[in-house]
Amino acid sequence: MSNVLRPYLAAVRSTLTAALTLEDFSSQVVERHNKPEVEVGVSKEVLLNPLTISRNENERVLIEPSINSIRLSIKIKQADEIERILCHKFTRFMMQRAESFIVLRRKPVKGYDISFLITNNHTDTMLKHKIVDFIIQFMEEVDKEISEMKLSLNARARVVAESYLAAFNS
Amino acid sequence: MDVNFRKIDIDQYDEDVLNEEELYEPDRRDPSQVLNDTKAKSAAVRSALSKGDTVGALSTVLDQAPYGPNVEEAKNLNLQTLVSILNTTKATEIPGIVKALSTDAQDTLMKYLYKGMALPGWGDVSGSVLLGWHEKLTEAAGVGCIVRAMTDRRTV
Amino acid sequence: MSGPEVFPLAQIPITSHAFNADRSQVAVSLNSKDVTIFARQGQEWKATETLSEHDKVITSIDWAPNSNRIVTASQDRNAYVWQQTSDPQTGNTIWKPTLVLLRINRAATYVKWSPNEDKFAVASGARAIAICSFDPEGDWWVSRLLKKPIRSTVLSVDWHPNNVLLAAGSADMKARVFSAFIKDVDKRPAPTVWGEKLPFNTICGEYTSPSGGWVHSVGFSPSGDVLAFASHDSSISIVYPGGPAMYTIKMPSLPLVTLTWTAEDSIVAAGHDCQPYVFAGNQGGWDLVGTLDDPHSQKSAAGGRSGFGGGSPVGRLNSAAFNTFRNADSRGISSLPGSPISPGSTESELFTVHQNTITTVRPYDGAPGAVTRVSTSGMDGKLVIWNVGSVTPINGVAGLTAKIAGLNLK
Repeated sequence: MSNVLRPYLAAVRSTLTAALTLEDFSSQVVERHNKPEVEVGVSKEVLLNPLTISRNENERVLIEPSINSIRLSIKIKQADEIERILCHKFTRFMMQRAESFIVLRRKPVKGYDISFLITNNHTDTMLKHKIVDFIIQFMEEVDKEISEMKLSLNARARVVAESYLAAFNS
Repeated sequence: MDVNFRKIDIDQYDEDVLNEEELYEPDRRDPSQVLNDTKAKSAAVRSALSKGDTVGALSTVLDQAPYGPNVEEAKNLNLQTLVSILNTTKATEIPGIVKALSTDAQDTLMKYLYKGMALPGWGDVSGSVLLGWHEKLTEAAGVGCIVRAMTDRRTV
Repeated sequence: MSGPEVFPLAQIPITSHAFNADRSQVAVSLNSKDVTIFARQGQEWKATETLSEHDKVITSIDWAPNSNRIVTASQDRNAYVWQQTSDPQTGNTIWKPTLVLLRINRAATYVKWSPNEDKFAVASGARAIAICSFDPEGDWWVSRLLKKPIRSTVLSVDWHPNNVLLAAGSADMKARVFSAFIKDVDKRPAPTVWGEKLPFNTICGEYTSPSGGWVHSVGFSPSGDVLAFASHDSSISIVYPGGPAMYTIKMPSLPLVTLTWTAEDSIVAAGHDCQPYVFAGNQGGWDLVGTLDDPHSQKSAAGGRSGFGGGSPVGRLNSAAFNTFRNADSRGISSLPGSPISPGSTESELFTVHQNTITTVRPYDGAPGAVTRVSTSGMDGKLVIWNVGSVTPINGVAGLTAKIAGLNLK
């Protein structure tokens, strides 16, 4: 683990822990409804200040807490065109299968690459520190995954180019 | 058929609904006075820093920090003053300094750290500095301090 | 002093619990639309009855000790009063529900019997509190609404010992004291520190949480002269209206959501930090004195604890959702970055008795003002009975923070 990444993830971890203090809250606008207040956004008093944790311009996490749900959005590092394409493909793949990831949101918040929506139903049934672990692990893995894919893509391109150009060699 | 009436937000006519500005006690000071106070504080901070009194400088800048609408200029000035303190502090001194602050000052410092990280363009300059302070402050003041940064509507 | 008694009642969250007068039975709501009554059999609790009438999640239960009536509130906007009667056909004793005319159009969030058990208060998301009293002519419970100046969902209420005053905490960040005087029920109350003339809906006090948190829990002291409230900004405030002083303790830990007075100078409060904290003080000031959950005894006591339910040691976290999640999460948990726990620790349990948020704390044993034991229930499906006397001190802020770091930042 590089020394630069550690305080970033530690800050996300502590902020997320503080935000995951959710409770059951029935809508005070619509009768007999119970929905994530952070998504509805009508009752101002049950929404809290959104917090941003940023490592640099291109790596940021936005945490939007409310009384019964939080939304966490990640901006993944994308240094060049290839990383941008890979990141797009990767997050799209995950979000199309959002139901198997339980806390994943189907659409990212504007300005971010991937978003999670954690509600009080999730914190009731799952251990809170495990949800935090999951998010942190995801953040850690996604960078690794994308740079690995980039490496193998480049390696593959080189092999293809070599074997193609080999025909002209003789 | 005209269906536009379906898109009218009728909830905005609800008299009982709480508005943003009703969620906290407004600052009683006049915006221009806030700005003057902040400028005076900025000068006091510089003199405290030249004496090497970082705790005193931080306490000054965090005391009565400007909040609410109409004081953008004072807010930015205060943030700049604060960031100048944060940038000049050695990493090894941070734990001692944050422990010496009062609980209220710790809460306000936490708000400023998040504000600093949220501002576009600032991240590259002092992202790692802010993260370093955030870590040490969380160690000293606990996650309760972060909870208060979320709940307190008096955003700096 | 013996350690806490732990009863894992279920694998699903307990939204509320209430004991009967002799503590032989407990009514709980397991995050569902039914109330389950458990009866104590030796060291175990057996589910004996299910009360179903609501059609949405039950948010709160209260069991009147003397009149032996249960009142339940639910997100379906209704409240029911349950009374034991004998079934005319079979002769068995059954719990008979009576619908309460609440006249609210949003979820009921909290319910509490008044000390004389002739009224109860239902907090609601309709920005109102319904004060219900029995109308013998109509043979039903009727309500009057406390509305002004509540601006948001009311999260909790508590009665003053004089049966007239009511404290309420709400999501608009305020704790308020109201008069809930109903002419046909109440005699004119004696003057208190909160005021002298008290017609219905008089506001006797309004207090804002220090850093803008929702007020999760309110409580009058046994004498009724002091009010405590816990809010979401991780703080607990104690108000002396005569003072006029307000003491606020800002916690370095996660917010408290429930509190109860154990004596005139002592409060037990619990919440998202999964352990009950003890506060002590008087008019001169208040302090956090410690926790009822001794973190050092947990390791040795763990085996004994899981024995209570008779389940296997891993069984208590074995819900389907948890397993799904754990499988998704099972790769390389031990070497997480930013984790203060040493690498290699695959411990999935917290060091506290409760494994998730504590939602209710109630007095269990002892007269008001001299409570010796309290009971807590939480999201982890456990019911725990604690000795108020066995407080483990927290050594300074550093020690506490370190422990919290270990607890929550794991």
